[in-house]
Order: sequence, then C-alpha cells, then structure tokens
Amino acid sequence: MNFISKIFYEYRRALKALGLFLSIAGPGIIVMVADNDAGGITTYTTTGAQTGMHLLWFLILLGPVAYFVQEMTVRLGAVTKRGHAEAIFDAFGSFWGWFSLLDLVMTDWLTMITEFIGMTAAMSIFHIPAPVTVAICWTIMGAMIMSGRYWTWEKIALGFCVINMIYVPAAFMVHPSVHDVVYNSFVPHFPPGGLTNNLFFLLMANIGTTIAPWMLFFQQSSVVDKGMQEKDIVFGKIDTAIGALLTVIVAAVLIIVAGTLLNGAQVEDAAAAAIKLMPMNKYIGTFVAIGLFDAGLLGAICISLASSWAFGEVFGWAHSLNHKIHEAPWFYAYYFFDLLLAGTVVLIPGAPLVLITLFVQVIATTLLPTALVFLILLLNDEKTMGKYKNTLFENVANIGITLVIIVLSTMYGVTTLFPNLLK
Amino acid sequence: MRLLKAIYNNLAAQVREVNRRYAEPRIHMTPLVKICLLGLRFYLFTLVGLMLFKFVTLVK
Repeated sequence: MNFISKIFYEYRRALKALGLFLSIAGPGIIVMVADNDAGGITTYTTTGAQTGMHLLWFLILLGPVAYFVQEMTVRLGAVTKRGHAEAIFDAFGSFWGWFSLLDLVMTDWLTMITEFIGMTAAMSIFHIPAPVTVAICWTIMGAMIMSGRYWTWEKIALGFCVINMIYVPAAFMVHPSVHDVVYNSFVPHFPPGGLTNNLFFLLMANIGTTIAPWMLFFQQSSVVDKGMQEKDIVFGKIDTAIGALLTVIVAAVLIIVAGTLLNGAQVEDAAAAAIKLMPMNKYIGTFVAIGLFDAGLLGAICISLASSWAFGEVFGWAHSLNHKIHEAPWFYAYYFFDLLLAGTVVLIPGAPLVLITLFVQVIATTLLPTALVFLILLLNDEKTMGKYKNTLFENVANIGITLVIIVLSTMYGVTTLFPNLLK
Repeated sequence: MRLLKAIYNNLAAQVREVNRRYAEPRIHMTPLVKICLLGLRFYLFTLVGLMLFKFVTLVK
C-alpha cells in the first residue's frame, strides 16, 4: 500500500512539474527555432549543396554552444529582472551601452531585411507577388501583438515553431544513407579539398546563424516580460536545451536534404534550392518553400521585438507585450517602424539585397564576441548574480566558446583583406 | 519643420537623460574586467575597420 501511494505521489509530482514546465517553456524554444531564420535556411542549404553532409558534425557541435550561451541570458534575466540592453548600460556605462544598442539596431535591421527577402522569395515560388507577401507579413505580425498579452503572442509564435519542423519529413523522403549520416554527424572532418577560403566562409556563416547578438537580447527580455523568477531557472534551462535540440534537428535535416539531392549544384539561396528541388520531388520543394517563409516570419517577429524591448528598457518606455498599444505607444511604434522599413527596402527595385544578405551574417559574427564578453562578465559579477553566477565549468565552456569565436572572427577579418591566405 | 525640431529636442533630452543615468559603470572594475574592456575596444576598432574596408571595396 505504502509503495502504491509513493508511486502515486511521484506521478502527481511529475505531472505538476510538467504542467509548470509547460507554463514556463517558450522563450528558449522560440529563440532557438527562430535562430533558424531565412538567412539560416539559406546557409544550411548552401552548406549542404557545396559540401554534402560533411559538415553535419559541425552543426551538431553548434547545438551545445548555442545552449551554453543562451542559458546565461535565462539566469541573468530571471535574477536581475532586466533586459540585456539595460543590463549592459547599467553595468558598463553609456559608452558600451550605446555601442551595444546601435550594434543591435544595425544588425537587427539588416537581418530583418534578409527575413523579408526570404519570405518574398519563398512566396514567389507559389506565384505570390512580393508586395502581397510583405503586406501579409505586416498583417500577421501586427495582429500578433494586438491582443496586449504576452501569453497569446507566445502561443502563436510556438505555433510557427511547430511549422518550422516541416523540414523533418523531407529528410526521410530523400532516403539518405544512414551510414553517411551517422559518420558525418559524429566524425569531425573537412570535405574533400580541405580548409579553403570558401569553406571557412561557410563555417563562419553557420556560426553566425546559430549564435547571433539579437538572440541574447531577445531571450533575456522575453524571460523578463514573461515574469520568470529565480525558482524557474531550471525550467528555463530545460526550455533552452529543447530549443537547442530543435535548432540542430532543423539544421541537420536541411543539410541532409540539400546534401543528398543538390550536392554539387550551384545554389544561391534557399528559394533557389526549393525551385531546384520541385522537379525532383514537388513535396520536398514545397516543404522547403513553406519552411523558408515560416523561418523568415518567425525570425522577423523575434528580431523586431528584440530591438523594441531594448529601446524600451534603455529609454524607460513601457515595453511589455502585456501592454495594449495605447499603454506602450513608443514600444509598438518602434516595432512597426522596424517592420515597415525592412519590408519597404525589399520592395525597392535594384536594392543590393544579395550584398545585404552576405554581410548581415558576417557582421553579426564579427560583433558577437563583444556581446559574449559582456554576458560572461555580467554572469561573473557576484554582487548582481549571487548564487546564480557562473560555475567553474560554465566559465570554462563559455570562455572557450568566446575565444574560439574571437579567433575565427579575427581570421575572417584578415582573410577579407588577404583573400588568398587560405587557398 | 517645427514638429521635426520638437521631436529632435525630445529625443536629445531623452539621450542626455540616459547618459546621465548610466554615466558610471556599476560593475565591480577588477583588473580582469578592465583588461577585457580594453581588449574589446582594440578588437572592435581593428575588425570593424577591416569589415568597412571590405564593404567599401565591394561596393566600388
């Protein structure tokens, strides 16, 4: 009898914990899935087309890297109840604060343009003109925040995260060699030809799309807006870990699809990949096109919010999704301004869209070390973090990640000046 | 024109207020923190310079 009651007690406890987790989960999953935005989908399909499945191990390696970095924002947000922009201003003063804010605004705006490029390109496959696509996106993104409730916004965003998994069935439909998938996933190696300039750029682009400055700002602000407390940190970590797993799954299946069907083909972006896939298998082509639109939409939703939250925190405006538009006019004004500006640029004939797409990933990667160094310094400030400051293991992992990114970024900077260095 | 001037003045006042509020860094400035911030300045000036150079040459 005692045994049965113990089992029942544990069952009820697990059920309660699950319920609590489901109510807290959201920011981690959304930020990680949104991380596979339109630029990311292009990067993965290009990586697959150019290198086959040889870089699967690298993508899998980036999963834990993304987790370690993003998990810090959960603790920082839950403990300080401040967004990332406000935390930087407060800790490092106005010089570094303005630098981070302007850096965020610039990279966010450029990234937003790439999201609209992705969405319009995806919908053009279904013969929907760009102005109509942009108008649809504006409507969806405007409608999402109209309710004045964070909860509603989050559930809709999670719905878009589910649609992002549309790539998974495509990976099974291409019938990849299981041996190749397992070997390329767990045995680190470079594709035939070794480390070339082009491969180096691909690696940098993959890092840039997996860890981006806007993600730090978004998740921390989201944690604060959701009202997460210190006791919720464990669930926040699980939420982030699940998100990291999902982001790796999406990246891996795209590389498998492109690496199997488009290996060696010239693929400029994800929309071109979808067009090339259509004659081979119309379902796979359609999945890639729908996924690209969804990825762009999810990315645009999160990125525009990251900037709006940051401005609200710094200028002291009301800045919560729990506010109605008339209660937080500047917060929503910036959100819509960002959306309208990015959408309009895409519609300008002759705008240098390819150049923008190219530079946004690289600039984000170059500026990422600053954001990471600030994060690590903040997480080691005992006065602020108390018992939630970084442990030795977390410091070793995060400082290691930051150093690798700094070395790669510096190498990239040098190779842009001396392009023949790695040939 | 008057409206633009009013918006500009309002924005400038807000920026001044932010600068005043966050004039002093609150993080404990250990030697390690100082070294990190100095390193970041050097790193950024170098890399941003390189990126701008590449951008300008590509646009040309």
